[in-house]
Amino acid sequence: MALLRPSSRIRRRGTGGDRIWTWLMVPGTLWMTGFLIASLVLVAVLAVGTTDDLGNPRFGFDLSGVRALADPAYSEVLARSLGYALLTCAICLLIAYPVAYTIALHAGRYKHALIAAIVVPFFANYLVRMYGWSVVLSDDGPVLRTLRAVGLADGNTKILNTGVGVVAGLVYGFVVFMIIPLYAALERLDVSLIEAGRDLYGGPVRTFFFVTLPATRQGAAAGLVLVFLPAMGDFVSAQLMGGPDQIMIGNLIQDKFFQGQNWPLGSALTMLLMLVLLIGMLGYLRRTRKDEAEARR
Amino acid sequence: MSPEVPSPTRRAVLRTGACALLGATAGGCGFMPAKTPDAQQLAPVRARVDGDLVYFNWADYVDPSVFKGFEKEYGVKVIQSNFDSMEGMVAKLNAGNRYDVVFPSAKWAQRLVHGGRLRRIDHTQLTNAHAIFGKYTYFADPWYDPGSAHTVPFTAYKTGIGWRRDKIGELTGSWRDLWSDKARGKVFLLDDRDEVLGMGALELGLKVSTGNTGDLDRITSLLGTLRPHLRGFSSDSYNNLLNGNAVMTQAWSGDMAAMLNQAKDPSVFGFEAPKEGTPINSDCYAIPWNAPHPGTAMLFIDYMLRPENVKKNIEYIGYPMPVAGTEKTYADLVKPFPECLVTEDDLRAGLFFRNGGRAAEDARDTAWTHVKAG
Repeated sequence: MALLRPSSRIRRRGTGGDRIWTWLMVPGTLWMTGFLIASLVLVAVLAVGTTDDLGNPRFGFDLSGVRALADPAYSEVLARSLGYALLTCAICLLIAYPVAYTIALHAGRYKHALIAAIVVPFFANYLVRMYGWSVVLSDDGPVLRTLRAVGLADGNTKILNTGVGVVAGLVYGFVVFMIIPLYAALERLDVSLIEAGRDLYGGPVRTFFFVTLPATRQGAAAGLVLVFLPAMGDFVSAQLMGGPDQIMIGNLIQDKFFQGQNWPLGSALTMLLMLVLLIGMLGYLRRTRKDEAEARR
Repeated sequence: MSPEVPSPTRRAVLRTGACALLGATAGGCGFMPAKTPDAQQLAPVRARVDGDLVYFNWADYVDPSVFKGFEKEYGVKVIQSNFDSMEGMVAKLNAGNRYDVVFPSAKWAQRLVHGGRLRRIDHTQLTNAHAIFGKYTYFADPWYDPGSAHTVPFTAYKTGIGWRRDKIGELTGSWRDLWSDKARGKVFLLDDRDEVLGMGALELGLKVSTGNTGDLDRITSLLGTLRPHLRGFSSDSYNNLLNGNAVMTQAWSGDMAAMLNQAKDPSVFGFEAPKEGTPINSDCYAIPWNAPHPGTAMLFIDYMLRPENVKKNIEYIGYPMPVAGTEKTYADLVKPFPECLVTEDDLRAGLFFRNGGRAAEDARDTAWTHVKAG
């Protein structure tokens, strides 16, 4: 990711620096090859394997797992997951931008404390946080009680076990991934650009849309990818907050590996999901490359 | 960094990576042993202290004071770890992890015995064995492990319907109650393939573990008519009932019994065992083929079978245990839900989930996808 790459300025500093960077890459490379690439290869191979009676995966060549993907149930669930993930991205962006903007440009000395206040709760176990959230959204929970008190909901309104509940869970779970890159981008924003916009008789709204927003779109793009990837594969939110019509692709994959003991089909589904994610990732890479090219001009 | 150290070339980095990849792949193969170990060849274990007990079970499935008693009496430590599904448990065993005592359900016990993964258990080494096998003759020769040669039963339970009496009144004692209009939109099914398909099969008068595609199609379309009534799939039945998200739910008898400890007023809840039949299940003690301290495991099983410990465990987890002399403890515990009791007749009705062949398992798996994803 462009944001994480050491800048070319450091790299050009000479051979000694070069050597340090190469050595620093070794543990990461080993880790990635050992645990990411190798396990990916295993998943790909298992997609055409079989399962024995004890639930052990067995290598072989059997296309039944891949062929089973043709079942329309999977494309339907995949489309639903895609919809939920995109909606989650949009809502996260709408929530995160004002938060990041306020903290980066107007929080003064409370900046770091506020960022900590957002990040620290995130360290609590994801499952526990989601479980708590499901209590908050339950029929007798505080959210619905408040809505009923002000007349915005009646006795039959529910959030838990609906699509609204699932998306709320996903937004709650992943909004931090949007706030942090946006904050980083806004923090680096050259405020003289905003002043220049004002000098050129741009009102606050015009300045925001023509200066601030374009200058921070890399942060937004990074945030969108960071939210989209986990939201697409998530299975906890649909399990705790969803009903029978909110099953996501992650739930099906989990079922294949556990209850179904059908590792080949689970692996094939995983590969399908990765394919979809790869398309989103490629879009992001093209976008950032174009931006970099423009910046260099 | 000293200048003598040559900087790694791109090739070197790639080579190291390739080695790591190979190592990882080889490790991956190691987790699938080429030759199935056969514990049948090993002599039955003598009950004696041969080390600390490495214990592997569901979380909170034994009263902590029972562990304390065991540690004190035999001067050993109990090293606990927990699993959250049968599949997870077997995956750990397959990966070569070593435990002294594990607790598979009937279906998984049969698979493990077939795979040669369990050591034989000599009942004459267990001073309390007669309390089980003398009274509950069903377990003297269960379908999943002939002669109980490798297992000793731990708990038995059934699946029924839990509901809120205060919200929808009385039920009729049939699986059809799940379709009741009074509970529309507030019904949960267990998030469990076998339980949901089994319920559909019982309603249609089919075999609970059927792998026949024609049967499964009928089950899928029957359960399709239940969808508008459903609020979700969840195995957290008693919390769903307690917090009011469910007014009716498919539920395991043991969970309903455990709920009695938490409910302020148990009379608002009910549990029925439908007349079309209720799936039965049983967890058992087993000693894996590679147990480091099988002798201590034998002592532990024997200790767990002492009536005073059985009573403590029954009260702690809410599941009945087939041990003579402990029936009253359980009956007292589930007085508000008498249908939680598991009788010898329930066991003989044989509505256990059984293992099917690969084709049958895949067909059930597909049916479950359709039930769940609609």
